[in-house]
Amino acid sequence: MKVLKFGAVWCAGCLIMKPRWQEIEKELPWLKTEYYDIDESVEVAKDYNIEAGTMPTFVFLDKEDNEFLRLHGEIDKEKLLKILEENKDK
Amino acid sequence: MKKIIIVIAIMILSAVSVPNCIFAQDMAKDPVNIYFFWGEGCPHCEQEKIFLKQIAQKYPQIKVFDFEIWKNSQNRNLMIEFGKKLNATVSGVPFTVIGEKYVVGWMDEKNTGAQVEEAIKCALNNTCRDIGREITDIEQQKDVSNQENSKIPETLTVPILGEINTKNFSLPVLTIVLGALDGFNPCAMWTLLFLISLLLGMKNKKRMWILGSVFIVASASVYFIFMSAWLNLLLFIGFIVWVRVTIGLVALAGGGYNLREYFTNQESGCKVIGTEKRQKVFAKLKTIINQQNFYLALGGIIILAFAVNLVELICSAGLPAVFTQILTLSDLPKWQYYFYILLYILIFMLDDLFVFFAAMITLQMTGITTKYSQLSHLIGGILMLIIGLLLLLKPEWLMFN
Repeated sequence: MKVLKFGAVWCAGCLIMKPRWQEIEKELPWLKTEYYDIDESVEVAKDYNIEAGTMPTFVFLDKEDNEFLRLHGEIDKEKLLKILEENKDK
Repeated sequence: MKKIIIVIAIMILSAVSVPNCIFAQDMAKDPVNIYFFWGEGCPHCEQEKIFLKQIAQKYPQIKVFDFEIWKNSQNRNLMIEFGKKLNATVSGVPFTVIGEKYVVGWMDEKNTGAQVEEAIKCALNNTCRDIGREITDIEQQKDVSNQENSKIPETLTVPILGEINTKNFSLPVLTIVLGALDGFNPCAMWTLLFLISLLLGMKNKKRMWILGSVFIVASASVYFIFMSAWLNLLLFIGFIVWVRVTIGLVALAGGGYNLREYFTNQESGCKVIGTEKRQKVFAKLKTIINQQNFYLALGGIIILAFAVNLVELICSAGLPAVFTQILTLSDLPKWQYYFYILLYILIFMLDDLFVFFAAMITLQMTGITTKYSQLSHLIGGILMLIIGLLLLLKPEWLMFN
């Protein structure tokens, strides 16, 4: 499983989520994540249909790189941990 | 802008000289009373004033009571009261009431002057009611009744703060609440956040502080200039009922929009300008920050702050407009109007100041949660609806002085 994190330096919610993800990544060393700044990685953002108005956006991909979940905004750390543990084998 | 400055100048110069108020004047019982509503700086009013002086000499039985309405809200309300009683559309000044007849505007002696004289003759023949006397009698009765039946205590004892005057306390509280609702929008600080991200990459810390502070001050100045101009415009034309009604409708529309945002945008996403425009602003910011010449960078940041905030302001003009309308309803000394505008802006800018100083001191970007922006949509929406309804139906409840 892999999580694509879409954000921007000007997005207040993204700044809130940044340390949360850092903690999660420390707690779950098996987790693969990739961060994309939508102003820099315009093509990737376009491929995943990311809108500036719904930032931050987190796209959850399975082993075959198929999207199975998408979350927007500020998400609680506990909620994220639960989702990640539940989908660990995907 | 030039006209507004001239008008402000006239208003300030004349502030001391015209304290006309109905309760300060000795209303005559037997003579024919003429109620003359006028505005400082209105040329037609000046012409009618001259005419009324002449006619007063011709008919010694008449007595003229004049009410300046552009600066005196009590007189303005009295004019509205006259309009209601006479079933007249009081859309401007001069507005003259004689007996139960009224004349709106002034053309010349032959036309409007003749109408006024005819009304005087009618009143002298004792065939006309004195509407003005009826209203002032009611006003006096209302005053007595209000004093007797007032259910809201004038003072409240609050822990820590001690005894506070409810009338004096309401406007500061409302200012803080509206400023916070207008300002607490982490989504609106995208330009500042981007600027901070650029500033943090700078080696010259002094330059970093100066450019960031100048951006904040310029942003606040845009709001101050806009709100001051709006305030003076409303003080100038605010007596027109339709202005209040329009702002009341704006408040209702703003309230409806906020409630719609609350119920439909539950994901608390931030609405930002389109990618292309955003990229343009960012490119300009980068150019300004990297400008070798410090003064050019300073000038650039001021211009950009003005441009960006002006756009943001137009998008959220509802609350500042409603707030300034409330200020004009409260008959305050000039300095207090500006004090409340500054207080509003200070509260409005608090989140920006927090983010800026936190980043400058820790050299790390700090975000403000967008979690509560949804809640501010709900509270703001309800408050705007209440204010809108009050502006339309009970404006006197918003008069804090």
